[in-house]
Amino acid sequence: MAFMTLQDIDVRYDKKKQILKGLNLEVKEGELVSLLGPSGCGKTTTLRVVAGFIEPENGVFALDGEDLTKVPVHKRNFGIVFQSYALFPHLSVYDNVAFGLKMRKLSKAEVDKKVKNILEICGLTEFSVRFPQQMSGGQRQRVALARALVIEPKLLLLDEPLSNLDAKLRINMRVEIKRIQKQLGITTLFVTHDQEECFSISDKVAVMNQGVIEQFDTPETIYHRPKTEFVARFIGFENFLPLNKHGDVYKSEAGAVFTVEGASGEDSLMGTIRPEDIRVAEEGQTKNILTGTIGVRTFLGKTYQYEVETEAGKFLVNRPADESYEEGSTLRLYLPETKLILVKR
Amino acid sequence: MKKSSAFIMVVPGLVILAICLFLPLLRVLVPTFYTGDYLFSAYADFFKDSYYLKIFVRTVKVAVITTIVCMAAGVPTAYFISRCDKKWRGILLSVSIFPMMTNSVIRSFAWINILGSNGIVNRFLMMSGLVDKPVKLLYTDFAIIIGSVYLFLPLMIVTVAGVMENIGDDMMEAALSLGADRLKAFMKVIFPMSLPGIIVGGILVFTGTLTAYTTPQLLGGNKNMVLATFIYQRAMSVGDWNGAAVISLIMIVVTLAVIKGFNALAARLDKRGGDHA
Amino acid sequence: MRKNKLLTAFAILVFVFMIAPLIIITVTAFGEGSAITFPIKTFSVKWFVNVFALKSFRISFVTSLEIALLATVIALLVGIPAAYALARSGMKGRGFLKSVFLSPTIVPGIVIGFVLYQFLVLTLKIPVFVGLLAGHFMVTLPYVIRVVGSSLDQFDFSVEEAAWSLGCTKTGAFFRVVLPNITSGISAAFMLAFINSFNNIPVSMFLSGPGVSTFPATLMNYIEYNYDPTVSAVSVVLMAVTVLLMVIVDKTLGVAALAK
Repeated sequence: MAFMTLQDIDVRYDKKKQILKGLNLEVKEGELVSLLGPSGCGKTTTLRVVAGFIEPENGVFALDGEDLTKVPVHKRNFGIVFQSYALFPHLSVYDNVAFGLKMRKLSKAEVDKKVKNILEICGLTEFSVRFPQQMSGGQRQRVALARALVIEPKLLLLDEPLSNLDAKLRINMRVEIKRIQKQLGITTLFVTHDQEECFSISDKVAVMNQGVIEQFDTPETIYHRPKTEFVARFIGFENFLPLNKHGDVYKSEAGAVFTVEGASGEDSLMGTIRPEDIRVAEEGQTKNILTGTIGVRTFLGKTYQYEVETEAGKFLVNRPADESYEEGSTLRLYLPETKLILVKR
Repeated sequence: MKKSSAFIMVVPGLVILAICLFLPLLRVLVPTFYTGDYLFSAYADFFKDSYYLKIFVRTVKVAVITTIVCMAAGVPTAYFISRCDKKWRGILLSVSIFPMMTNSVIRSFAWINILGSNGIVNRFLMMSGLVDKPVKLLYTDFAIIIGSVYLFLPLMIVTVAGVMENIGDDMMEAALSLGADRLKAFMKVIFPMSLPGIIVGGILVFTGTLTAYTTPQLLGGNKNMVLATFIYQRAMSVGDWNGAAVISLIMIVVTLAVIKGFNALAARLDKRGGDHA
Repeated sequence: MRKNKLLTAFAILVFVFMIAPLIIITVTAFGEGSAITFPIKTFSVKWFVNVFALKSFRISFVTSLEIALLATVIALLVGIPAAYALARSGMKGRGFLKSVFLSPTIVPGIVIGFVLYQFLVLTLKIPVFVGLLAGHFMVTLPYVIRVVGSSLDQFDFSVEEAAWSLGCTKTGAFFRVVLPNITSGISAAFMLAFINSFNNIPVSMFLSGPGVSTFPATLMNYIEYNYDPTVSAVSVVLMAVTVLLMVIVDKTLGVAALAK
């Protein structure tokens, strides 16, 4: 049963460029769903439609069975964490967090109780009298989160909240966000362009491209079984091989024969495989073979990465450091049928 | 940089300032301290004289009203400009800057045409039969105030818009998402964040109006003098050089006091950081 | 973001208030009659002819140009090194020095004119023209200190240090590296200082004498004794020049340069 739904959402910029094209999304209660995609794919626009900053040209946004498409922002009761945090510089941490409660005309005692409680949960108790400009990025991030959560929002919206933090802090904060989100059981939309961050935190991921959702699945499914070439490329598949169906098998343009597990019905597809899944062929193997010459070899620590120039173009292959091959030598690559994935071209 | 070379760079300016400003100021103003029976007696006399006092009060009154009107009209307009897209912001900013670059004689003259007994307002009133003889609008305090607002409103708008431009849309959006409507979000977030700019604008408008000469001269006439026009009248028409010097010092002191006052206000508002106790 | 209708309407009213009087002047300049009327009955350009025929306008216009140009150039010559020293040296009391350089802004223009007239002209018997120039220098200097100062504050001085390390002398680095990078600030300061000096009245009120009168002062004098569309015509000419200047500034520095 969907808690939040976006139905056939169209958004245009300046009445011209279409940013969202009939976008559909369903989110269950208590889920953390990420919108993942490159810049300009419409993920932030989607979030802003949900927030109410943008009114879509067509389509319906509903929450808990209620059509909210035309409800103004300040009546939606959603918590939003902005990329810039958007903390009010003229207010202390306490007053920033209390802002939403004061707008709801709560009594002073209630405001105080709720603010202190959320500051506690977010580990900010000792900072309550500070001003935003006196705090570090990570602390500001927590204040932004506390301010969004204290109003007990029906939805939590996070717009690239970790992009302004350094790498180590980013990992800490995403664990923290996940913990608080689960603790409060709040349905959350999370916008990001960082796939690792997105996979680690989400219950489900919507990969977006050019205004539509290309795939909506669990992180595991998306990681292992991308459905389209775009999704595959975006989540780190680097080797692509056009394949055409010939009876039960597939043939590359050069005529090599491939078999694939769980093959779909379409005739013209793209085969893809991660560099670490490619093996070196043993003698006698004839199916799923690509032959090429090793170009550049790069040392990655546990493995070497080889750039192999094959008849189907450049392939990246990661092999353990103990089985080293020289630059310039010829390599027969084996693409296991369980690892080779077919995606839409 | 070596101290000596820095010294050489600032000295020419300081010398000119000393000879052409500080020395003349001291030479003219210091003798006014002791002209009568006791120290500063000339100043005490100034404030005892009801005619002088009236001019002083008028000047301050005009400056206060002008500043308030400029703030009330300028702050929302500046906000409007700051929220426009880049193209419109440029256009509206140019339209605001243009009057600032136009001579104040011309800008006051425009209001003579509008407020005069044969001016646009009066002819409209007479034509519509609301009055049967022209209403006296020109050569009144009202005329000075409207002329001063006209003179300084662009300055207020441009100053405040400059500050508001740097406030991101996300501030308004954050306030809205927390349940504030637009008016509340403006009053609780945008306005306090723009206060530094509003204070600077306030100082510029207040001191500008307080010391303006052209507008009160052209729109106030000889009956409605302010301190600046009064200095000229004392010195040139009456030959009371000492009196003119006294008024000069009063103007400088009031200007300084206003700047200090506004800045103190800004500091207090800034530290308080909102209405939370 | 959705625009608020009330705010838009308010802003439109404010802009009408700011622009309408100037439009009215422009229209009245083309009226035929010798009394100013709006709207005009018959179209004529005779008042424009009159502007250029009036000798006092011509002479004072030249005086104003001379004064504004001289005052601005002197202010730049004196002000740029001062602004540089204030921005760059670790001099003690920099804040105080800066406020000294900006102090002319807190002395009312009429007072500057008054004390200069008394001290320079009456006491020291210095020619009125020089006194007037000194007064206008006080108008222009703060613009140079402020605008050039703010563009120096944004200048990355490691670039200057790089020039030194490449064998440039300190003076050479100032002219070859620092100055070229603050030209837009200098241009903006020039425009602002020049325009404000040219338009200034209070400083010039006392500092006039035989043959020495600024253009705005002459204009003001004319208004007090005549009420015909000549002044409207002058206004139109000046506004046209202002528009031209603003277009030039907008194309080169961006119009925001004048908002300082």
